[in-house]
Amino acid sequence: MLVEFDIVERAQAGDAQAFNQIVHAYRRRIFGTVSRLIGRPEDVEDVAQEVFIRLYYSLDQLRSPEVFEPWLYRLTVNAALDHLRKRRKRKLESRVSDLSEQQVMMADAAAGSKAEVDEKERARIRELVDSLLSGVSEEDRLLLTLKEVEGLSLKDLEKIYGVNENALKVRLFRARQRVLRAYAARRGDEPRKGQDDEG
Amino acid sequence: MKGDDRHLEQELDRLFAAYRDACEAPEAGPDFLPRLWARIEAAPSWPERFWKWANGLALAAAAASVMLVVYQVSTQPRADFYSATYVETLMAQTEAELAPVELAGVAVEPPAEQPQQ
Repeated sequence: MLVEFDIVERAQAGDAQAFNQIVHAYRRRIFGTVSRLIGRPEDVEDVAQEVFIRLYYSLDQLRSPEVFEPWLYRLTVNAALDHLRKRRKRKLESRVSDLSEQQVMMADAAAGSKAEVDEKERARIRELVDSLLSGVSEEDRLLLTLKEVEGLSLKDLEKIYGVNENALKVRLFRARQRVLRAYAARRGDEPRKGQDDEG
Repeated sequence: MKGDDRHLEQELDRLFAAYRDACEAPEAGPDFLPRLWARIEAAPSWPERFWKWANGLALAAAAASVMLVVYQVSTQPRADFYSATYVETLMAQTEAELAPVELAGVAVEPPAEQPQQ
């Protein structure tokens, strides 16, 4: 826990100062998680705010401060999921504008220095993993990201999702297999791409 | 084949780890907390939401009632006494009373009028 139980309890009782303390303590973690879940830096702050707004309005439903963290994770997952759904809807409506935005980002990252080369590589990895994860449902994408990228254990996930471990294992296995197949297919293309780059 | 699969699995794990590093969390802006409070205060409270919901429900119920009344009035057949005059109704009733009565298949005709001498 990044804050004491009594701060959570005070926030539950309506203490704005205690709520601010919670926001300060968890802001960085929520930003990191949201960033990895949605994979789009420009939207992270908005989604993080949404998480804390939901936290504020549902604090009174928290039964005990001990389950605060899994519960905050659940709020984060739900907010990220809502965001991804909205984004998918928007994407369907305007694929072209999204593409041009990506192209602009790629072009920005395309200039010279070492930092820029590193950023280009990071952007390539983000794009690759995002495209691999786009082959599974939004729910599975989040589950897989929490397990594989965030490094949460099955026990943590069990608390967050309220689903038993075996069901989670099956879901994770299927989602991972799908991503693995997509990766294998993609990797089959890569040598050719590499040769093209060299030539 | 199995070795290939394992290799692929390991590569995917490395890719996920690289993704974690590539997704650096942006720093929160200095106005994060004030904006958050502004959004919290702008969001309608539970009683407000409830009243909004209740008003919507009442409005929908009233509209449904009006529509139901209009539908019933428009589909109901119009009664005769609305179109017929008092005299016409009285005549129709008298004609029914003066109609020949049939008793067990035997028609009882009213007595023929005698020609006046």
